[in-house]
This record gives sequence, C-alpha cells and structure tokens, in this order.
Amino acid sequence: MTDDALKRLMCLGCGFSYDEALGLPEHGLPPGTRWRDIPADWVCPDCGTPKSRFEMVEIPYAIGQPAARAVA
Amino acid sequence: MTNSFVLRADERGYNKILSTGATASYVGGHPDAFITRFSSFNFGDYQDGRPGFGRIRVFGDEAFHHPGCSYNMHPHHNFIICAFVLEGKLTHINTLGGLEELGPGDYYAFSAGSGGLHEELNRHVEPMRAIYLWLLPDHLLLPPSYTRGHFDAAAGLNRITLLIGDDAGAIPIAQDARVSRLVSDVPRSFRYRPRSTGHGIYAFVIDGTLRCDGATLKRRDSTAVWGADEIICETGRGDTDVLFVETIM
Repeated sequence: MTDDALKRLMCLGCGFSYDEALGLPEHGLPPGTRWRDIPADWVCPDCGTPKSRFEMVEIPYAIGQPAARAVA
Repeated sequence: MTNSFVLRADERGYNKILSTGATASYVGGHPDAFITRFSSFNFGDYQDGRPGFGRIRVFGDEAFHHPGCSYNMHPHHNFIICAFVLEGKLTHINTLGGLEELGPGDYYAFSAGSGGLHEELNRHVEPMRAIYLWLLPDHLLLPPSYTRGHFDAAAGLNRITLLIGDDAGAIPIAQDARVSRLVSDVPRSFRYRPRSTGHGIYAFVIDGTLRCDGATLKRRDSTAVWGADEIICETGRGDTDVLFVETIM
C-alpha cells in the first residue's frame, strides 16, 4: 500500500524536485505521472542530470508550497 | 552502537573540469581555466563512493585555476549550498542580489529553496580553493536565503567554533545540521559532543594531522562517526585545521 503512495524525488545535480502528484505539465508530464513511468533517458529540465541521479525524498513542503503553478 | 568509516584523501572522487569542449558552457574562463574537484561523496561521474552521510550530499574540495575560472550562473532548488574559502578569492553572485568577494576564512550558506541561481568565480591569477558542502533541507521549496560569515582563525585558535547552526553567532539553516571549524597550533585533545546519538559527525582534515575516534588522519583525510555520544579528537604538532559537519542521520 505504502508503495503506491505518491513520491517526491530530488535531482542530485541541482536540487530540482519532482512530485508525482503534480507532474510537470509544462514538460509533458501530467499530474499523477509515476516516476517509474518516466522514460529512463529523461533528464532534469533545469540541469540535464540523468533520471538515475535523482533521489527519493520524504521531505515535507514549506508553508504555502507547492504554490499553484502559473500555467499560460 | 558506534559506527564509523575513514575516507583517505586519495580515495575520493576526482574531476578536472575544463573551460573548453563539452563543459565550456558550465565552466567559464575559456580557454585556460579549469576546476579540480575532489568529492567525498557521490557527485557527477563519481558514483562508486558513498551516496552521502546523513543530510550531506556533496562535500567537494575544489580549486579554481586561472583568472575567469567559474561555474557560470546556473539554477538550483532546495539544496543548502555552503562554501568555505581556504585560499585565494571567490566572487559569489546570486539571484538574491548577492555580489561579493570572499577571502580565506569567509564562508556562506545559500539556501536555494524555491529557486535561485548562482555563479562562483575566481577573477585572479592565484588559485581559489574552497570546500563546497551541499545539505538536503528540512522542507522543500523554502524561501531562498543567502548569509555570509567569517571565521577568525586567530580568535578561534584551539577551540571548536560553530560556523553554521542554531547558536548565536552562527549562520542558521533549515536543517538539523551544524558546521564547526577547529584550528589548532599545539597537540591537544578536543571533545565533540553531538546533539544526540542520532546525529553523526563528519570530520575533514583541511591541514595537519588529527587522531579521531582511533584513526590517524592526514591532510584531506576524513572520517565519519555516528551512534556515539562524543568523539575525542587529538590534534598533532604544528598547525591543524579541521572542518566538522554534524548531521541528523
């Protein structure tokens, strides 16, 4: 059951965080996109670090985050 | 139960990053400049070592060679990035409005939080040497922050001085972690008591020799100890310079 909980991951190259619940709609990953369903050759949109160098984290959000994404 | 490991200077990951070719957009100072980086933990292509220690993910012993040598302006999130300048002069620029030159003893903590960019630059002929430390934060997407500090080796001689942490005079960060520095000029014994046995200590010898938890460490050697209620460190003859990072495990 806990395996099915939505996960957060952090890029070890720059600290960019990916949240399965939020996805990255601006990069073609709708909310709810599981990490395992993202292609292995995907890279960090900010710094180009490979997917394999992200670390799963259990760090809570700061107050007020995640802010609503500004979608054009 | 007390656990430990020792990492010798020559066991660390090593990168020489050129300002030409594939890394030209990453490292400035074309064509002569280059950065050397010894990594205590996994970073970049160094993926066969330890992934980190407690909340530490990067501990880089870096040198910027030749005028203009830099990590060009680039983005970060979340990581708390700290630099401790050992030699030369570091120009640090960030998107919180920071633009300043730091010299030996100067240090900073840049918490990238919800997003920030920085550039690290040596404008001088003399190499700039610094320790770069990256820590995970205790919350994601915090408001970014930047704070600068200075370690006065003469005033702090022969005692352990807190540089980063939650005591007065130190730079506070959003993590259960502390950084201290010890400069000693005589053989002497020091006791470091972590906040709890759930905290670990990573001790890195910048210079000199240190006997720590049974291991004899020389220049750029390091050790980590966790599960202990205290560690005893004995400095050697001559100048000894040690950085301690305490982190919740």
